[in-house]
Amino acid sequence: MSTVAQTSPARRGLSRETVQFAWRVAAALAVCVALSLLSDAFLTTNNLLNVLRQTSLLFLMASGLTLVILTAGLDLSVGANIGLSACLAALVIKSSGSPWLGVATGVGCGAMIGLANGFLVTALRVPAFIATYGMMWLILGATYFYMGGETVHGFPPSFRQFGSGYFLGIPIPIYMMLLFLLLGTLFAQRTVWGQQIYAIGANPVAARLSGIPVERRLVLVYVVSGAMAGLASLILLARVNSAEADIGEHFTLPAIAAVVIGGTSLFGGSGTIIGTLIGALILTLVVNGMNLLQINASWQPLVTGVIILFAVWFDIRARKSGN
Amino acid sequence: MTRGLLTRMPGVAIALVLLIAVFSLANPNFATLSNLQNILIQSTILLLLALPMTLIIMTEGLDLSMGAVLTLASIALAITAIATGSIALAVAAALAVGLGFGLLNGVLVAALDIPPFIATLGTLGIAQGLSLVATDGQSVVGIPRGLQQVYGGAFAGVPIPIIIGVLAFAAFFVLLYRTRFGSYIFALGGNREALKLAGVPDRTVLIATYAVGGAMAGFAALLMTARMNSAHPTAGIGLEFDAIAAVAVGGTSFERGNGWLTGTLLGVLVVGVLRNGLNLMAVPSSAQVAGIGALVIAALLIDGLRSRP
Amino acid sequence: MDRLASMRHNGWNARRCEKPMTVAPESAAQRDAAAPLFELRGISKQFPGVQALDDVSFEIARGEVHMLLGENGAGKSTLMKVLCGAYRADAGELFHNGERAEIATPADARRFGIAVIFQEFTLVPYLDIAQNIFLGREPRSRLPGFVDRKRLYADARRMLAMIGFDIDPRTPVHELGVAQQQLVEIAKALSQDARILVMDEPTAALSDRETERLFAIIAQLKQSGVAIVYISHRLAEVFALGDRITVLRDGRKIASVRPAETSPDDLVRLMVGRAVDRTYAREYTEPGEVLLEVENLASDNGIADIGLTVRAGEIVGLCGLVGSGRTEVARAIFGADRVTAGEIRLMGESIAGSPEDSARRGMALIPENRKQQGLALGRSVGDNIVLASLHRMFPSGIFVPARAGRAAQAGIDQLRIATPSPHRPVSVLSGGNQQKVVVAKWLNAAARVFIFDEPTRGIDVGAKAEMFRLIDQLVQKGAGVLMISSEQTEIVHVCDRAYVMRAGRIVGALARDELTEANIVRLGMHQ
Repeated sequence: MSTVAQTSPARRGLSRETVQFAWRVAAALAVCVALSLLSDAFLTTNNLLNVLRQTSLLFLMASGLTLVILTAGLDLSVGANIGLSACLAALVIKSSGSPWLGVATGVGCGAMIGLANGFLVTALRVPAFIATYGMMWLILGATYFYMGGETVHGFPPSFRQFGSGYFLGIPIPIYMMLLFLLLGTLFAQRTVWGQQIYAIGANPVAARLSGIPVERRLVLVYVVSGAMAGLASLILLARVNSAEADIGEHFTLPAIAAVVIGGTSLFGGSGTIIGTLIGALILTLVVNGMNLLQINASWQPLVTGVIILFAVWFDIRARKSGN
Repeated sequence: MTRGLLTRMPGVAIALVLLIAVFSLANPNFATLSNLQNILIQSTILLLLALPMTLIIMTEGLDLSMGAVLTLASIALAITAIATGSIALAVAAALAVGLGFGLLNGVLVAALDIPPFIATLGTLGIAQGLSLVATDGQSVVGIPRGLQQVYGGAFAGVPIPIIIGVLAFAAFFVLLYRTRFGSYIFALGGNREALKLAGVPDRTVLIATYAVGGAMAGFAALLMTARMNSAHPTAGIGLEFDAIAAVAVGGTSFERGNGWLTGTLLGVLVVGVLRNGLNLMAVPSSAQVAGIGALVIAALLIDGLRSRP
Repeated sequence: MDRLASMRHNGWNARRCEKPMTVAPESAAQRDAAAPLFELRGISKQFPGVQALDDVSFEIARGEVHMLLGENGAGKSTLMKVLCGAYRADAGELFHNGERAEIATPADARRFGIAVIFQEFTLVPYLDIAQNIFLGREPRSRLPGFVDRKRLYADARRMLAMIGFDIDPRTPVHELGVAQQQLVEIAKALSQDARILVMDEPTAALSDRETERLFAIIAQLKQSGVAIVYISHRLAEVFALGDRITVLRDGRKIASVRPAETSPDDLVRLMVGRAVDRTYAREYTEPGEVLLEVENLASDNGIADIGLTVRAGEIVGLCGLVGSGRTEVARAIFGADRVTAGEIRLMGESIAGSPEDSARRGMALIPENRKQQGLALGRSVGDNIVLASLHRMFPSGIFVPARAGRAAQAGIDQLRIATPSPHRPVSVLSGGNQQKVVVAKWLNAAARVFIFDEPTRGIDVGAKAEMFRLIDQLVQKGAGVLMISSEQTEIVHVCDRAYVMRAGRIVGALARDELTEANIVRLGMHQ
């Protein structure tokens, strides 16, 4: 995709990225239309806010992951990261009474996990999927061990505002989503680092030979991905008001799905943050629809799996014909 | 074939000996004959998964869905056994499920060119989903009595699982080192071009490799269901990780197209000893998983340092 | 009876159809009288923008070593690819033993007994020698799917014995050195009843002793009637081994002679003599200060003792044959490869040896493989042009698309890159324009020393002159250029002076008055 601004006025047709984005928005709208026809409960304010709130959570988890996938990497430890960060933050909040200390712990823990992932991938040159897979189990195990099967609950209301609070009638997580949509997009499109990340994804060899410090940037994206997972874990914590070891386990697959459905290629170099938001929205809508239609929740991982496979297949086909 | 890999032997064998020594010192119950036999029996299921996983990793692939497929196969087995009363049909059902998912994985990877970790992540979701739907989250109980014999019984004084394990290892050994198919698996990872130039249908070989993995997951489901005398939708979760860990610790690397079955066997024993020893020390399963995770990372570290001086 | 025929006579056959062939031994008289074993007549092959082969005829006789000579790009490998079925010729015919033959696929070529020893070996590292030789054609045992190991190793031992390679066929291939792997490749070819063996620079990676052994094997093969097409730059080998020599130049056959009828000087003249491109003439300027100084450079990629200088206003050539280490020198200087010894001074300052550092200090590398190493194909022209100057243009870290767009447009205008806008994906541009984008990238990064690796590779003739004018403009404005090229004419007509490399070392430096194609070729070849 091109971010260098058009200097000549005339523009013949829309760019490929715009077209693809439009398709995805259309898909989201189509699902909305379908659901509103299939269920009376869909178009209620309550339900729609719920959908947006869930989308926000998923988006926050997937936003940092988008950067990682832009570099043709992967982070399978997102779910485990959420679990450990949430549990550590929970324990800190309870023991210190300070929500902000908890926030710092959560984000910090997430970032540290990201740092470890980045180190494995750059310094030890372990393939990303293996490194983050191993980390996933390591963290999961450590979290389970540390929590000893117990749950932590009961957090101060000032903290719970993060997840369940409203501002001007809109749930706070939605503001967070918009905030990070803005920050993420600015980072990707309007910073030097963002440009370099796209370049690394497009061709890491050429990027290196053009003087871009590839290893440092890779560590950066893994740290950001981890930190965002940590942040998302706090929202989750605030929402469900309890923390247990497996709180994040079910989010790894949907997070990856959101990124892939949003149009970011697993092979790196193309994709947008807002695409991930639309992807998260589509996924959440589908799950919401399944709930409204009272389809057994057990079908959800299956549907997510199938959607991922289709999205990847589309991406591969598009690459083959486009290039 | 095996000669060049003898240089790796020290690593995992030393690890095994060390672990046995440490646990024997830490806990008097460890080094008893019955406990050691226990380790062998309990490791069989993992061995049945780790053997085909070795082959898949040799082709520079991965199968993350094995645990979920095993779970689904075990549920299929239990349901069929209860519904028809026939163990044979039940086993057939389990194998069918396993083989079906194996073929699906193979087609996704070989024909559609989807990266293995994503393809099998997707099928993991599908298998897990089907398991939950079929059982509504509940265990399946009431399996006809005969099945338990498979896990608990013995033949000529040797526990059946150990016999199965030995046979499986022998079968894979022969498959990898004595058949054409085995040579082709080496070629898939080592120099796929060479295979194509030789006119061998490389995609078919790759699909078959994943199919074998799926079938073995189905077969392992038999042991698992017999062991627990029930089927539960979360039973096999995470087993693929143990299998990958066993293969990695055993010395088969994720590139370069080499594979060492004996190493996998030793790796399986390492994982088995680790779990057993930690169990005896009342370390919860979760921490064991963390330990194995650390083990995998250590194995990757060593492998990475060794191959990139 | 020669060994190969006797083996067939005894019923041994590695092909799938189990019928043994009987081949009656030929007398020398029969051999001369019959039609050539294989003939290519009037072969032409065109690729977009380039006529790779133009009406080339090539005969291969039984039991002869036919040397194929020519500079890089002369058409040697294209001709061989037509022979082995990798390419289809646009025009021309093929004859096998005087009869018309069709070779549409590599399988067809194999049926005619044509085997090629590629430079990238087709061996599976963790299988043993025997398994590699018979990959896909393993002798079957009675049990389906199983390999008859006794026969496998016996047959393998026989093949190895044929070439006098004394080694246990159970040795895994990854334990073998390059020379030994090559022997396995030869055994593999022979096991497919190769009657024509094509070898591309076979001694490039071999020691003297290993080369001797290879020659002995070739002599043996000759005896059995196997023909060998031998591509080489080493004139000593050409005269030692060759029965016939064919010289290609610019896709045409220039001569086909016997060694006795020619001399090394003649051959060099035949290889390099070409019409000089008079559309481009360089204006030489007096060189300025030293921009780049390299002393005693060595890297872990096989180069050592490299010393050179580049001054402002100069175009310095770096020549040598493929594999002589020129790209490795470029990479080491730029910092892309790890330097193990020596010093690099850029504008007086010793530099650290990383692409990031080199780029920041004003060094540019335009790689040979521009698509894989020089451009981010998935990105636009504009994105690529600013790729190396992001920190320089935006020190605050904030990227302003409008400013980047202006810089990109300036680059497009300055180098006359044929694209309607900076937005177009760089992948749709022609080779020449893509090359310009790479240069524009470095101009935008305020580079002063440019290292060009094969700047006109894959660019059609018209664009080549423009590329040279561009390089000339660079040095007119005070830059210094180190140019790697395999086309001796280019070096002679463009460079102020040149260094010649061979086997990872610099073997000579030619001043402007010594800079002739013949000198370059002579220095670069193994005498």
